[in-house]
Amino acid sequence: MADFDERRSLLGDEDEDRETPRGPGRPMLAICDPSHLLHRVVVLLFMCFLGFGSYFCYDNPAALQTQVIQDMNLNTAKFMQLYAWYSWPNVVLCFFGGFLLDRVFGVRLGTIIFSLFVCVGQVIFATGALVNRFWLMEVGRFVFGIGGESLAVAQNTYAVNWFKGKELNLVFGLQLSMARLGSTVNMNIMGWVYSKVEDMVGSSGHTALGGSLMIAAVTCLFSLVCALVLAFFDKRAARILQKEEGNTGEVIKLTDVKDFPITLWLIFIICVGYYVAVFPFIGLGQVFFIEKFNFSPAQARAVNSIVYIISAPASPILGFIVDRTGRNVVWVIIAVVATLCAHMMLAFTFWNPWIAMSLLGVSYSLLACALWPMVAFVVPEHQLGTAYGFMQSIQNLGLALIAMAAGAILDTKGYLVLEVFFCACICLALMAVVMLYFVDYLRGGHLNRSASDRAKLQKEATSAAEMKRRPSRLTKGELARLVPMSAFGLRNRYLSRLGTQLPDHYSTHLSSLAHRSVLK
Amino acid sequence: MATAAEPRSGAVRVILTLCVFKLLSGAETSSRQLTIELNPGSPLAPPGGDLLHVRAVGDNDTLHYLLSSQGAPTLLLVHTDSPSSTVQVNWIQFLARNSSGSLKVEPESSVMYSGGVVFSRLLEYDDVNDTAEPSNFFPPYELQNFTWSRLQLSGPTALLCGAATTFTNGSLCLQLSVFDSEGRGQTWPRLLHSANSSQLEVRLDGVLPRAMHSRFLLELQAVGGAYPLSRVEVRHSIDDEFTPSIFKVSEWVSVENSSSDVLGFAQWKPVAYRQRHPVLEDATPCHHSEPQPQSGEATAASSALIRAFYPEPKVVGLNVSFGLAGEKFYNSTKFLSWTLLVGVGSPPVDFFSPLVIAIMAVGLGTPMILLLLGGVYVYVRKRAASTTAYEPIN
Repeated sequence: MADFDERRSLLGDEDEDRETPRGPGRPMLAICDPSHLLHRVVVLLFMCFLGFGSYFCYDNPAALQTQVIQDMNLNTAKFMQLYAWYSWPNVVLCFFGGFLLDRVFGVRLGTIIFSLFVCVGQVIFATGALVNRFWLMEVGRFVFGIGGESLAVAQNTYAVNWFKGKELNLVFGLQLSMARLGSTVNMNIMGWVYSKVEDMVGSSGHTALGGSLMIAAVTCLFSLVCALVLAFFDKRAARILQKEEGNTGEVIKLTDVKDFPITLWLIFIICVGYYVAVFPFIGLGQVFFIEKFNFSPAQARAVNSIVYIISAPASPILGFIVDRTGRNVVWVIIAVVATLCAHMMLAFTFWNPWIAMSLLGVSYSLLACALWPMVAFVVPEHQLGTAYGFMQSIQNLGLALIAMAAGAILDTKGYLVLEVFFCACICLALMAVVMLYFVDYLRGGHLNRSASDRAKLQKEATSAAEMKRRPSRLTKGELARLVPMSAFGLRNRYLSRLGTQLPDHYSTHLSSLAHRSVLK
Repeated sequence: MATAAEPRSGAVRVILTLCVFKLLSGAETSSRQLTIELNPGSPLAPPGGDLLHVRAVGDNDTLHYLLSSQGAPTLLLVHTDSPSSTVQVNWIQFLARNSSGSLKVEPESSVMYSGGVVFSRLLEYDDVNDTAEPSNFFPPYELQNFTWSRLQLSGPTALLCGAATTFTNGSLCLQLSVFDSEGRGQTWPRLLHSANSSQLEVRLDGVLPRAMHSRFLLELQAVGGAYPLSRVEVRHSIDDEFTPSIFKVSEWVSVENSSSDVLGFAQWKPVAYRQRHPVLEDATPCHHSEPQPQSGEATAASSALIRAFYPEPKVVGLNVSFGLAGEKFYNSTKFLSWTLLVGVGSPPVDFFSPLVIAIMAVGLGTPMILLLLGGVYVYVRKRAASTTAYEPIN
């Protein structure tokens, strides 16, 4: 069983660790020795900064919303196209990112290629601003989108390859923090960069915008350098340790879609309904806080980035709580209702938005911790890749469409109707989760089991599986009664294999989970 | 929105109930009969500007709107408690502009409230450092010295355009709309109006600014017999669906010293638009200065209507400035439009549109109904299951 294999290789790795390096004859310095912790820390540094550029630049438009709109003479609908164009390529790429990495490029070349896409995309984006051509900016975001999400997958694959069975949870945690750091730094620094460039150029306008976006592109260049360095280290380590190139291990079979149970489709609806009310809102948030709450631009950027800042510490803690208590559906209901409250606060009150945004940050992390692992409960392990890929894909589709709709609504109807629209999206998610609760309840309540029940079931399933190996001692009827349980136990074991420090969804072999919505 | 558009029938009932409730609560005069008369009692068009009289007759009161361009453009509102009150003008005295009493509302005892707004000056300053703090003023344009066109009437709206003699092109236009019932303006800021109010749109169109970085201010003077509009209240409103991204309403109200009842008002949203058919990006915020008492005599001298109606006018003035620091200058589009609602009684208060109420009702209601139905279904099933489960034992 997969479980066994993993544990075995895990032990094996640790054994190797204690051995002296099997280098090419002579002993190496610790920092140069691929099997030594010190060397891995160096590699980790590059790994973390690999994704920094893409996260930094993803929210460039949100950080410079007023400037982009003013300098390029846009309306909000056109502005939101920048986000829509990022999402379009990922509607398809969610399925193929892992495949491209595994079969076509390999992780080293793939990472470099995706980094190049990110880099070139951002440069095109900035050039579009420099020459005052908005369509070129859109092309830039499209190219950037091709690289961005897949780069996250590659980053994950590297991490698994280097740290599997060692410090993997910590590494994922660090990458996560870097991603959030990138987003937060971007939100809070780009306004300042713009004003400096403005002073330097001597005028505001598209030149200053292009200049500051070019400066932002430096972070992408930096990430590209990291990709090159990582490829070198990885190749070197492979030569020295004779290990294979990393693999996402993801299998996508589109025909699986027809076997998806109704509970999975409900989870998809929750996912789309929820995330379209979070990301496009953050994209538009800055000006909203300025205009409705009279915030200064700096304050507005700070409150807009609080969601990212909060989710950094909240994710591991909430993930731990959800792991310990189980009852995922109830947690999802709580998260959705809390988000609905946050949006209604923003829509219908003048209360300080720090309250609503903090609530949004916490509930957003809680949803990520409780929703994503549920997929693993409802589909068999071999379909997980497809299910997650599909979920990401329709989520990106939803994000692209809603981003455009949100801009258009804001332009014609204002913020109240926009917020009400987001509330409606959340309500859709709420309907889906209420239905999920009942459907699941009628089907035996697997999703909403408490953690202790799950552990008990798992134990039973294991013993059932053992008994199955001795079929002579069981009657056919008893077997039939036990079979569905062992299937569930299988999935359950898959989940329990994941660490508890991090939320469940940081599965080691599911690259699709590395995508932005989960990571951010 | 599609989620809310289809299962609407349930929400329609809610809205209907709300509408009925609103109609019942708003028991004031909800509709008026409008009669429009140009230069009442004058055999020919008077030189120097027209006088428009709109008589809005309600069930048991009459509102007289008077708009004149004799001197500075002025809107005067007179509210009477008789449905048959009339306006009498002594044209010779009115045009001479040297004594009060040439314009009377009869019977005089029926007058409950009167108030006027005089558009006295247009100010321009050079905002070199882009701070939007008015300084470096150019010599102001005195609107009483403008050459005003004849009033162009179309239905219940009247258009008055004028230009300074120094303008090479462009004009300052005032468009008055009078309403016979409650409703909402067609273009942004889409102010809500009642039958007790009129709307004035000010447009500064195509005027050549005297500097590259020019910004403009408009000086308004509120005139009243006893209680002119005195203090400005800025109300916050969560509802920006009719004026996107504007969450404030400014109300310049007239109150009796002792009571909190509002006698009359001028209401505006702190936004002007830089295009005739604006999109959101053409919105430019505006600011008003603190209202200051001013000389009644000077105002009466500038406006024939004030001179004719008020023996001793009391005047309070304020400036409305267009544009904030960092906003585009007038030069960018050479157009500004700003809308003001003037009326008697309390200013109208916006309410959520049926669309918003419907979406929220459906959005919040459906999960509740689902929860209820699901709960009942599960309960029934469980009961059924438990009874059948125990049957074989018996």
